Amino acid sequence: MEWNRKDLLSLYDLSGAEIEFILDTAEEFKKVSQRRVKKVPALRGKTVVNFFVEPSTRTRVSFELAEQRLSADIINMQAQTSSLLKGETLLDTVRNIEALQVDLVVMRHSTPGAQAFIAKHLKCGVVNAGDGAHSHPTQALLDLFTIREKKGRIAGLKVTIIGDILHSRVARSNIWGLLKLGAEVTVAGPSTLVPREFESIGVKVCHDLKTAVADADVVNLLRIQHERQTIGFFPSTGEYARFFGINSDTVKLMRPDALIMHPGPINRGVELTGEVADGPNSVILEQVTNGLAVRMAVLFLVAGCVKK
Amino acid sequence: MKELLFRNARVIDVARNIDAVGDIGVADGVIAEPSHLRDPEVIDLSGKVLSPGFIDLHVHLRQPGNTDAETIATGTLAAAAGGFTAIVAMPNTKPAADNPGAIELLRRTAADQGAVRVFPCGCMTKGGEGKEMAGIGSLKSAGVVALSDDGRCIQDHALMRHVVEYARSFRLPILDHCEESTLAAGGVMHEGKWSVLLGFNGMAGTAEELIVARDIMLAREIGWKIHIQHISTRESIELVRIARRRGILVSAEATPHHLTLTDECIKKFDTNFKMNPPLRSESDRQALIAAVADGTVTAIATDHAPHTETAKQVEFDHAPFGIIGLETAFPLCFTELVAGGVIALPQLIAKFTTGPAEILGLHDCDLAPGRRADLTVVDPAAEYVIDRNEFRSKARNTPFDGRRVKGRVEMTVVGGRIVYRR
Amino acid sequence: MKKRLFDVDEMAAAIDRVTDEILAAFPAGEEDPVLVGIHHLGVPLSERIRDGIARRTGRELEIGKLDISMYRDDIGDRTKRLPVIEETSIPFDVNGAAIILVDDVLSTGRTIRAALDALVDYGRARMIRLAVLVDRGEPEFPIKADFIGFNVKLPPERRVAVSFGGSPFAPEEPGIFETDWHLV
Repeated sequence: MEWNRKDLLSLYDLSGAEIEFILDTAEEFKKVSQRRVKKVPALRGKTVVNFFVEPSTRTRVSFELAEQRLSADIINMQAQTSSLLKGETLLDTVRNIEALQVDLVVMRHSTPGAQAFIAKHLKCGVVNAGDGAHSHPTQALLDLFTIREKKGRIAGLKVTIIGDILHSRVARSNIWGLLKLGAEVTVAGPSTLVPREFESIGVKVCHDLKTAVADADVVNLLRIQHERQTIGFFPSTGEYARFFGINSDTVKLMRPDALIMHPGPINRGVELTGEVADGPNSVILEQVTNGLAVRMAVLFLVAGCVKK
Repeated sequence: MKELLFRNARVIDVARNIDAVGDIGVADGVIAEPSHLRDPEVIDLSGKVLSPGFIDLHVHLRQPGNTDAETIATGTLAAAAGGFTAIVAMPNTKPAADNPGAIELLRRTAADQGAVRVFPCGCMTKGGEGKEMAGIGSLKSAGVVALSDDGRCIQDHALMRHVVEYARSFRLPILDHCEESTLAAGGVMHEGKWSVLLGFNGMAGTAEELIVARDIMLAREIGWKIHIQHISTRESIELVRIARRRGILVSAEATPHHLTLTDECIKKFDTNFKMNPPLRSESDRQALIAAVADGTVTAIATDHAPHTETAKQVEFDHAPFGIIGLETAFPLCFTELVAGGVIALPQLIAKFTTGPAEILGLHDCDLAPGRRADLTVVDPAAEYVIDRNEFRSKARNTPFDGRRVKGRVEMTVVGGRIVYRR
Repeated sequence: MKKRLFDVDEMAAAIDRVTDEILAAFPAGEEDPVLVGIHHLGVPLSERIRDGIARRTGRELEIGKLDISMYRDDIGDRTKRLPVIEETSIPFDVNGAAIILVDDVLSTGRTIRAALDALVDYGRARMIRLAVLVDRGEPEFPIKADFIGFNVKLPPERRVAVSFGGSPFAPEEPGIFETDWHLV
């Protein structure tokens, strides 16, 4: 198995073997952050642009740190400071970036397919840090890495994702990754936010929490917010917490060694209680550590891809 | 003007029930008996099909307001290349064609620069905004053949009721773009399996169906003609089918793209697959094909919607809706429906000729001697690959570039003059 | 075209010679050196040296393995795709250690340069020596081996390939061979 893609856009595009390859590579990169010198020269002399059209702090910091630990030179661009505000099209903006001879663009955008669109027009590699509700491949990869590290495998595990699946790129990428590696996936949450169409790809759809978490090996909780795009879909976070929030009693319904995951930032008291977030099943902080290793691996592989 | 004699063509004249090999003469801009011609240019059409000129009920010429994308001149050249001798020009130009002055300007420019006949269509409401009725009587006097707010849809049902009633008194058919605004708001593709898998906001099929139902109720109550533009869902079709059985004056058109493409195409994020109404599911597409076969849909109309490359080369969410279609309509429909064994060629010809003519209330869509010589010649045996660089349209926003098709437009004659010849 | 330079017995004899030289350079009574094998073939080679030393003297040298992919100087310029990164394991403290780097073939010296950079990131070794089975004698960098099995001079377009016999799933003939580069 060798890597030959100049971009990482979506787990939908990858084979199970390619996903495993990234996770295997990430294992070695995790060790780098545990050494005295937490840096390798792999991307020395390479320039990476973090182009966050949709703002983010956590993901951007994780990517930035990964890039620094690979010794890359970094430029950060946000939409507020970019020429998009002045009416320049996205394509013109990225062409201008490429004209500066950069090697990689790590991009986050608020609409689906934006990275796929520009990747077709750029010679340099594109890593998708999130495109609207469509895809967040590095988040799913770090989730898969965490599960594999703790459980030794993905195939055959029962994984339940709970929350606003409809608007979640984390959910979609996780679903593709888990299915490709042979897990049994269930999605759960309010019926207005968990569409039945997912059944058509072999995912169980559930609107009852107890059924959803029964015998689960892994439960991945998505952040829920009562904001502009979701106000009409459910009445309040209070009602959500009552019917879909995870507390110690819910944990008892899962397997005793079940993992509780969350992409962060967590809403204590909504998706999960503080007790569960800090409890023995939670691997939420480990996800953050693994995120660094996974992003280092992805950047390394995409940068090392053979130029056509 | 040169006389023309078309020999050995398979003449398909649906209105007069003719499907036979024969000769057709043209003199002084009208159809003439071959024996009356003195010194015609003889054109042998062995193996080809000749019919009355195709009519497209739904074309955006973009003039005035967006002439970077298309003009009356280039749009009518594209129509000619697609075999169309007449097109209905949608009024959502900038400014909108909601007043006699705009209609007069269109008529004069088309007479001066247009390659084919342009039928003006006026707005139902001022500016197409759906708030106040436009000067429908004055629009009729200025020469519109129909009324439409295409691109938008009157949400105020009481107002729509008045518009339909008032239009009836002027015998103007209504061409309605059916879209309930709250169910489709913010959507960029069909709401279904693929919008869920891709994470896009969807436009529910029910947004179209609700307004189709409204229009059917109004057509029934008022007793006037409402034509459903670009019908796209299985349920909409079933509503129209039942209404027609009951004798309600409702008709429907289908676009070539809704007959050939589905929402799964969006997974490539190519904005050349983005239009309104959006590409629907395979089930909807099959229902549309069946509707063409059983006569629920009586017209094929392209909804030719040109956009510049710059406008379309943006993120999918931000791209404008619309694709061009004049120059690909016939081969796509021939390949899918005739070569595909769904209907016979005369039935397809009807969808391009007598079907649209009837909706507009025209009764001269045939090849009787004395008729205006508007003719279309096609080659049903030709096979080729669509190449958008050969289009006469100014725009290139088509999803069909590179597609292999069967059936090709060979020649288009408008008022006795050849306006397109391969 | 593949030509055998040395057979499996000659190879074993060379490894014994290298092992003896290492023992002579690091006599008993002083602090033991540690071995670090460079992936891929430096790893089994380092294990054979360790086993040889244990058999002869009873001394158990500590052993580590190193993948230098993250330290290569040709990332993004390669004409071949990146292979999967193998395990790097340095289970001892590099600070103050005497390290013997082990690799199968010394040709350009760039692999060794990368390995030195990697080891430096783990700590400050007391000394680093290099043991190779084959020295091609024309490095592009000022790298020289301290313990050498064979000196082989060949034109640059020919490759020296070492094999310890492959795996049970992909068996191949053990020995040292001269081949074309594209057979990699």
